[in-house]
Formats: sequence, C-alpha cells, structure tokens
Amino acid sequence: MDSFATGVSIIYQFATNGAFLLLSALGLIVILGMMNIINLAHGELMMMGAYTASIAWHRGVPFWLCAILAFLVVGLFGAALERTIVRRFYGRELGALVVTWGISLILSQGALMVFGPFLPAIPIPGGSVGLGQYSFSVYWLTVIALSFGLIAALWSLYNRTTFGLQARAAMQNAAMARALGVNTERIYMLTFSLGAGLAGFSGALFAPTVSIAPFMGQQFVAPAFITVVVGGATNVITGALGSSVLLSLVKTPIGFVFGAFVGTVALLLAALIIIRLMPDGISAVIQRQVDRRNRFA
Amino acid sequence: MSEPILRTEELAKRFDGVVATNDVSINVPRGELRCIIGPNGAGKSTLFSLLCGIYRPDAGRVFLKGEDVTRQPAFRRVRRGLGLTFQTNRAFHRLTVRQNLHAVLQIAREDRPPDAEERYRFALERFALDPDSEMPAKELPHHQLQWLEIAMVLAAGPDVVLLDEPTAGMSIDETLQTGAVLKHLNARGLTIVVVEHDVAFVRDVAQRVTVVHQGRVFAEGTVDEITAHADVRRIYLGQA
Amino acid sequence: MAALQHLVNLIAGPEDIGRSRWFWAAFAAVCALLFVNPLWLTEFEATNGAYYLLNVPIALGLGLLWGYCGILSFGQVAYFGIAGYIYGIVAGNMVGDATGPIIGSLCGLAVCGLVATIFGYFVFYGRVQNWIVPILTLVLTLLLETFLGQTAGYQWRVGSVQLGGYNGMTGIPAFQLGSYVVMGYGFYYYVLIVVIATYLGLRLLVNSRHGKVMLAIREDAIRTELLGYDIRARQLVVFVLAAVLAGISGLFYVQWGNYITPSQVGLVQASLPVVWVAVGGRESLLAVLLSTCALNWLNYTLSSEGYQYALIIIGALLVAVMLFFPSGIVVTLARDLPRHLRTLRGQRKGEVQ
Repeated sequence: MDSFATGVSIIYQFATNGAFLLLSALGLIVILGMMNIINLAHGELMMMGAYTASIAWHRGVPFWLCAILAFLVVGLFGAALERTIVRRFYGRELGALVVTWGISLILSQGALMVFGPFLPAIPIPGGSVGLGQYSFSVYWLTVIALSFGLIAALWSLYNRTTFGLQARAAMQNAAMARALGVNTERIYMLTFSLGAGLAGFSGALFAPTVSIAPFMGQQFVAPAFITVVVGGATNVITGALGSSVLLSLVKTPIGFVFGAFVGTVALLLAALIIIRLMPDGISAVIQRQVDRRNRFA
Repeated sequence: MSEPILRTEELAKRFDGVVATNDVSINVPRGELRCIIGPNGAGKSTLFSLLCGIYRPDAGRVFLKGEDVTRQPAFRRVRRGLGLTFQTNRAFHRLTVRQNLHAVLQIAREDRPPDAEERYRFALERFALDPDSEMPAKELPHHQLQWLEIAMVLAAGPDVVLLDEPTAGMSIDETLQTGAVLKHLNARGLTIVVVEHDVAFVRDVAQRVTVVHQGRVFAEGTVDEITAHADVRRIYLGQA
Repeated sequence: MAALQHLVNLIAGPEDIGRSRWFWAAFAAVCALLFVNPLWLTEFEATNGAYYLLNVPIALGLGLLWGYCGILSFGQVAYFGIAGYIYGIVAGNMVGDATGPIIGSLCGLAVCGLVATIFGYFVFYGRVQNWIVPILTLVLTLLLETFLGQTAGYQWRVGSVQLGGYNGMTGIPAFQLGSYVVMGYGFYYYVLIVVIATYLGLRLLVNSRHGKVMLAIREDAIRTELLGYDIRARQLVVFVLAAVLAGISGLFYVQWGNYITPSQVGLVQASLPVVWVAVGGRESLLAVLLSTCALNWLNYTLSSEGYQYALIIIGALLVAVMLFFPSGIVVTLARDLPRHLRTLRGQRKGEVQ
C-alpha cells in the first residue's frame, strides 16, 4: 500500500507540472498553430482572466463560473484585438511579435494604473484527498483532469468538426480556402478569440495559486513559450502534449531537488538542447513516426 | 578524368508518408548538358534539394567530383563547385541588381575554374544585365529576373549548375535565348543539369535526358531515344 | 594612404540613409557642437546628456542584428545586465586598484560574448525557425531577472560584493583611466567618443563585404547559403557583436549611476531597445541613433511626471509605429520628405510661369 501511494504521489507531481505547462501554453498554441502568430500578450491575457475571476469571485460568483466568465470576457477582448490590430500582421511574423508586445505593455501598465498593485486573492477551492501518508489537492486533481479534457476537446474541435476542417484549410492555403467558400476572416477572428479565451481560462484557473498583480502573466510566459517551442508547429496539439510530458519529466525531479527556479532554468536548457537535436520540435518527430507506420509503396 | 562530376547512389527521401525519391542512382559526366524531365510531382525538385544539401537523404549517397558530400551542409558543396537556381525565383527581390550580383563576388574559391569569369561576363552580356544597375530586382521583367538568378550562380564560378525550370513563364524567344546561352556555357566547360518541361527546349539543348517518375529513374537516354520511348509517352499521359 | 581612402569610402557608403556631402557636413557640425557643448552646460546637465547617449550602443546592436541581418532578439538587455553586474563584481572587489575598472569592463564584455556564443551556437547551428529566436532570447532575459531578483540574502555575494536581490547592487565604482576617475564632463566625453566611434565603425561594417552578405542573409538565408556562405557562423558573429554592444551600454549605465537592479533586465526594459529601433527604422543605423536619443530624452522627461504613464505611452507608440510607420518614422521621413520637397518645388516653378 505504501509503495503504491508513493507511486501515485510521484505521478501526481509529474502531472501537476505537466498540467501547469500545458494550460500555460494552451492559448498560445491555438493561435500559433492555426494562424502562425506568436502572441506576446499571452501572459497579459492570462492576467485578465485572473482579474476577471478575482473580481467575480469577490462578488460571490462560484469559482467554476468565474473561470467560464473569464473565458468569455477575455475571448471577447481577443476578438476585438484581432479585428482592430492583429489582422494587419498576417504573414508578417516578426511584426506580429512586436505589436503584440506593445499591446502587452499597454495591458499590464494599464492594469496597474486602473486596479492598483494587487487584487484580492482567491483561496484554493476544494479540500484534499488522502492516500496513505500523502494528501492530494482536489483542486489540482481537477486541474489535471481539465487539462486532458481541454486537449481532447481541442483535438475533436479541429479534427472532427466543420469549423476545424475550415480552420485547417485556411491555415494551409488561405486563398484556396476562400475560393471554396470558407470565410477566412471569421475563422481567424474565432481562432484568436478562442486562444485568448483559453488564456483567460487558464489565468482564472491558476489565480488561486498566485498573487493577482499586473505583471503576474510574466511567470507563465517563460514556461508557455518553452513548451510551444519544444512542441513545434507541425502539429500543435500533439506537440503541446508531447512537450508538456517531456518538459515535466525534466522539471519535476530537478525542481524537487533544487527548487522551482532552477527547475525553470532546466527547462530552458532542455529546450535549447532539444531544438538543437529536433529543430522542428517534438511534433515533427512524432509526425515522422506516425508516417513511418503508414508507409505505402 | 572518368569520374562523373555528379553521382548519386540509391538516393531515397520520404516526407510525411510520401516517397519523394526512391532508389535514384544517376551519373552526370563532366561537361554534359543533362535534362531531367518527368510529370509534375515526380520528385525532380526534391532530387535537386538532395543534391545540393537542402535535404538530407533517408538513404543513399551523393558524390560531387568524386567526393562523398552526403553529410556536408549546402554551403560546403557550393564551395566545391556546385550551383543551384530555384524553381520559384529566389534572387534578392528587394535588393538592387548591383547588390544581387555583388553579394556573390566575395567568395574566394581555391579551385575556381579558369573560365568562370569569362562565363559570367558572357552571361551578363547576353542576358543584358548591368552589374552596376541600381534598379530593384523586382522591377525587372520576369525573364530577366530568371536570368539574374542564373548570373548570380555563375558569379560564384561553379563547375556544375542545377537549374530548376529556368524557362518557366518565358516566351518562345526568351526560351531560345536561354537555351543558346546555356549551350555556349556548356561548350566552355560548365556541366549543366536542367529540370524542364518545355519539349522544344529539351530537344534544343539536351545531350542526355533522364526521365523521373514517382521518385524513380524511369528511363535515360538521348533525346531521340526518349521521345521514341512508348512508356515515357504513357507516363506523361497518366497511363502508367 | 590608399587604405585610409578605402576606409573613408566604406564609411560613406550607401547602406544607410544620409550619404550626400550635405549630410556629412551636418554630421561633422553636430559632432563639433556636441564636443563644445560642455562650455555652457553644467556638470549635471552634461552627465544627463551622457545618459541620453548611453543606450545608443545597445540600440545600434539590435538595429544591426534585426535591421541588417534579419534576426530579432528580445533579450538584448540580458547582456546589458550581465556586463553591469560583472563589472560591479570585479571592479567592486578591486577597489583601490586603479586597473580595477578596466579589468572589470573587459570581464563584463567577455562574459557577454561567452554567453552569446553558447546561446547563439544552439540557436543558429540548430537552424531553428525564425520565430524561435525572439522567444528564446526573451526567456533568457526573464530567467536572468528572476535569478537576480532572488539574490537578496547575505550569502549571495562574490568576494566583498553583494548581489542584493531586488534592491540591486550599489556602490559600483566609476570608470577609471589610470588615476583619472571618469565622472562629470569626463564621463560625457567618454560616452560621446565611444558612441560616435561605434556608429562609424558599424557603418563601416555594413558597407563592407561582410555587410553585403548580412543583407543577403536577411533577404533570403537559404539562397545565401546556396551561394557558398556559412550563414550559421555569420549569424552567430553578428549576434555576439550585438551582445557586446549591449554590454557596452550596460557598462556605461553602472559607471554613470553606480548601481544596477534586476529590473534593468526585466520585461519592460527588454521592450525598450525594440521600441527605439522600430520607431526609428531598423534598416538604418542613423535612424536608430536618432530615435534612441530622442526617446531616451522623452522617457526621462516623462518619468519626472509619472513613471507609469511613460510606459503606456511607449507601448502605444510601439503599436502605432508598427501599424502606421512599419519602416520606422525616421526612415519613412528620409524616404518621403525629399520626394515631397521636390513636388513642392516643382509646383512653385509651375506657378511662377
């Protein structure tokens, strides 16, 4: 019973780190994978989600509803951002990077000016579950389950729905997609909106674990970008999954022994080494394996 | 020297489940003007990418002037005497003609062929390109833009050049002009391998033709042998 | 003599806006003015003047890297901080030794070069896609900030110098040449000379054969490789050069204010070089030079009003410039102004007739 509990505890550690990386990166992945835009305001969108959650929670809204509210609010904001600014930078990768960075400055500084240096914290919801000598937070168990659920939902969205089909077509060849009647403008707006909403949702989910301040997005930016870079753009969903797993395998033991910061440094070093060996990211390697299975002729 | 200037052994490459190149072994003797033809999607451009090092093969080897260059990055092969133009024109469109040509003249190759300078000057003159022109390259007419890329490659003084559909989009006269320049360059010692679709062009310039189909070498021979080949006609008409 | 003539030709070459005799006359006049300035400036005003100039090297480095070579780095400030902190540690431990500051400066720049070489090796020899470089450089600088921020404890010291956590490192010695301590007017001339030399040196570089290859790499890296150039090595060299230039600005900063904090390598500071370069116009060294001085002056003036507003304005400026002046304000003006002037002159001539 003891070793079983220890085993579960170890898996739990890996899973929480993996879920953290995955959820931090989710919004970024959707936008990068579908539109080839790197959204440097990602951290600030997460911040907006956390702010929405905090404001709503302290008005008595139950936590799960706060998270959904955050998804909607930030998603709407994302749609507005796309319509006004981001759409002018399609095809201009580096330009999009720079302009979203400008937006992130405005958002974080604006939050500081409007709301002050801190927003009231949200206590971690749910209690804990015991197993042997270990106790596991119900909150984190839910977050882990949610991260898997979200990835599965995203996968279905893009591979099993008409919207997903149209989005993939628009991504591969926008002109051709338009010629076939796909409303690419709407697809881009919805995709950016979805990515923003997911960032807001993740921000709300993580709100109970961090102090809610204007620059809180920063702590997610580094892990999120590392996850995306290692995952690669070939197939962002498998890439994100594979990347979270791999990086969690690096971060968990190192973070456990040397502390959280060294864990994140280890992530960067791992990312540098991984991209040296697999420049197109993990998803490209996975894709090659899958293709090898499907060989014909 | 009996060693071919360019040789491959059982070259193979696949992408995402598609076999682009399959067991390709070709031999290009020094001084030849070879045309590579084949239906679209046959793997001709992939073959060029493998030859110059943009892609690493999954299997097989590439030999340049007798040396195994399979593991060498692209720039090292260029320094050993290889040149390549791309299917979609890749001269520096935003830069001026002068900048395009001067970007190249800096490479010092130890074994630059003695005729290289003369070949380059000949091409400039026959292509009507002014190496000091400040005109942005993108304002050149299409055929001259193609010629500009060829001239850039010649400026480096290669021993063998790979040209990927150089006459695409050209008129009949421009195609003839291109063919004439290539034949002259070849007579001056430059080995040329051209991927082309234009039958008249191939007839005009080719000494030998390699037919590629579905990633494999389908047939090889002189122009007459190939045009008489019944199977070649069939693959072009989609019957094989 | 011929070599000198050749050098002059290179500096005056075409790869930057400002090529005519008029330009060089104006340039010489401005330089002369800057040299004579201290006659009517107080020591305090002169040191402030140096403050507007000290960020020019890091900006020029990014302009070179991004505008001339096509590589966007968001983490140039990391090298700014590395040089500053290393100088503080080395010179701080050699107080009393007149060679301390010089050795400290060299160590600072050497460490910048080393870190950039290692980082750049993984990135450029890995032939990663273009968008990865800005992200990884940003991550590096964020990690550096986090690391420096948690060095508050007493155990975080090197020799006798405390790293100081979020409060930063204080008491950093001024620069010294022999027994002469570089402060006040001396500091102003020190920065001015290095900045002018840097600009002219970089102008020489971009007009040289190496500069031409850099442009080609920016335009089409694969085509350039297929012309026989080792693009990975060339990108690495430019990256390291940009890092060393950023380090020079870092040295100036700590030699000016005698302190440095982790916020100097934080997210907001990291955005500033990008703003300066984008606003001026990344494809011109001169534009970067002008916009950096102008925006630093603006930032300093605005900061005295309220720090928070300054940063929102900078963010908004970046967005506005990217939307409406994608080539940069100075570059757009330099290109379009002559045309407008000629049209005006043409119209007036028509009226006279």
